[in-house]
Amino acid sequence: MADQDHRHKIDLEQVAEHVEEQVAYGLEVQGPVRPTRTLWRDTVRRLRKNKLAVAGLIWVSIVLVMAVTADLWVPPLLGDPIALDTTQVSARRLQPPSWEHPFGTDNLGRDVAARVVYGARVSLRVGVLAVSISVVIGLLMGAIAAFYGGLSDTIIMRLADVFFAFPYILFAIAMIALLGPSETNVFIAIGILGWPSIARVFRSSILSVKENEYVDAARALGASDPRILSRHILPNAVAPIIVYGTMSIGGAILSEAALSFLGMGVQPPQPSWGNMLAEARSMMVVAPWIMLWPGLAILTTVLAFVLMGDGLRDALDVKMKE
Amino acid sequence: MSTLLEVNGLQTYFDTIDGVLKAVDGVTFSLDRGATLGIVGESGSGKSVTALSIMRLIPMPPGRFAGGDIRYEDRSILEMSAAEVRSLRGNNIAMIFQDPMTSLNPVYRVGKQIGESLRLHKGMSRKSADVRAAELLDVVGIPNASQRAKDYPHQFSGGMRQRAMIAMAVACDPDILIADEPTTALDVTIQAQILDLMIELQQEKDTAIIMITHDLGIVADMVDNVMVMYAGRPVEEGTVDQVFYDPKHPYTWGLLDSLPRYDVDDKGRLIPIEGQPPSLIAVPSGCAFHPRCPYARDVCRAEEPKLSNLGDGHVAACHFAGSSGFVRGSTAGGAA
Repeated sequence: MADQDHRHKIDLEQVAEHVEEQVAYGLEVQGPVRPTRTLWRDTVRRLRKNKLAVAGLIWVSIVLVMAVTADLWVPPLLGDPIALDTTQVSARRLQPPSWEHPFGTDNLGRDVAARVVYGARVSLRVGVLAVSISVVIGLLMGAIAAFYGGLSDTIIMRLADVFFAFPYILFAIAMIALLGPSETNVFIAIGILGWPSIARVFRSSILSVKENEYVDAARALGASDPRILSRHILPNAVAPIIVYGTMSIGGAILSEAALSFLGMGVQPPQPSWGNMLAEARSMMVVAPWIMLWPGLAILTTVLAFVLMGDGLRDALDVKMKE
Repeated sequence: MSTLLEVNGLQTYFDTIDGVLKAVDGVTFSLDRGATLGIVGESGSGKSVTALSIMRLIPMPPGRFAGGDIRYEDRSILEMSAAEVRSLRGNNIAMIFQDPMTSLNPVYRVGKQIGESLRLHKGMSRKSADVRAAELLDVVGIPNASQRAKDYPHQFSGGMRQRAMIAMAVACDPDILIADEPTTALDVTIQAQILDLMIELQQEKDTAIIMITHDLGIVADMVDNVMVMYAGRPVEEGTVDQVFYDPKHPYTWGLLDSLPRYDVDDKGRLIPIEGQPPSLIAVPSGCAFHPRCPYARDVCRAEEPKLSNLGDGHVAACHFAGSSGFVRGSTAGGAA
């Protein structure tokens, strides 16, 4: 007993010494520091370490800012992306890149840089809206299928299989042929075509989360089905959707470009990366820059979204402890 | 003491592709306010299904109640509507799960999870639930509770998580606490602390506890009555003293013989019960234990023994229970 007391005293003395030391050095004395760690804070920290993901994020931000603020700086600096001065067309058309027109001018004398920036608006809008539609439908369908199982599961997943059975771009073209070509119809078509994959990913994610004991524990506390689904299952099952959704934005941008290239999407003179490519195709040999810039824009933006998604996947994986 | 919970001839069956699985087949017991019942048996003997049946947490289908009744304060739990059962769960009857590592939701702060049942059943505001949750954490012995309530489960150790689980279970002052092997996932020193905590809370609130375990040591320590289960059926029921010091069923003998003991000079080998528990789809004819019973006779293969009363509430389901000359180790002959 005496022995223990003795040890105790020494500990206290050491602590006192330590505190004095801290005070002497002007440090704040505080209890054991335990910063609260949350899944999101951890995710952001891990994401910041992934250089490719950060590069993707930066590029997406640049494109986003340029697209949103385009009205402020593009017309005065580069000229109108749509309207053309009919008297000047022959003088201005097919100019190679220069200080005045950094990306050159197209067949009708319009500034390619201006059109690429305005094309970004279309791409981002379609990408985000189409994926939003897919995610909303997909989450709902996946949740119903996984949570209730049985007949509803069979019906929803077989319906998804039917969607998968059609060649994607043909299905999209058929839908737009039905709805008529326009930007709105493009994102509606892409959005509707995207839900089955989201539903599948979400369903399997819920099925694995559902087996966790904390779901039983919540039920044993008297929580109702909707509450268990929304508070205990969803938050644990959305991580794959965030990843998949981010990557899907890239895919949707690509689909929009493909549809517009085929003339089923955004209609000229409204610029979109896809229809710019289509217009530039015939002049590829004489004026390759017209094709280069929208092509590069598609490549880099889609890549940026995929890199971001990839980074998010690693960052959201709690098992990847550094 | 008044009877709080009565389980009468409960039969919980599961329809599987191989046939009907009789997970619980005729369990009968009653639980008084403030009493502790231990349910003991091997894995797959129907202990957990009994507990889940009381909470009506059996997934249906494939599960179904084929017979019997569960009455809580004279209301049949089996006949309640879904909403009535929900208001019972967590509020009147609460459950502590086996694995504290997976029983807490990783995305919510511990305090929030403890407060959930308070918000559900007592209609507490977010704020008062938070305050109460911190108090509860303090009650279950978490130091610096108001601070720790803001932690996430992964910041808790196993023992702390089980304490948090207990705080969750007792948040609404339930009448009955069902603990399904609450200490199996913990190391021994923590086990004792958790059991002490449960006893303490029980004495304070006069809570009845159903302790499901295969650890006979726990049963001997904290339980008033014991039910020994085998193949979904109760084989022996009685007070701790009756079952431990005067067991009448060969299965109970087997369980006790397979315990390591330090109070016996003879440092002999443990005596295991030979064989495997039977499949619950094809339960052996007659007494379900007869293929493993060293005392089995012809009557055991042919006829299912009824629970026979041995006096003072001590019952056993064996043809020979209580008959003179049928004692532990008497006959090793006639083994199947």
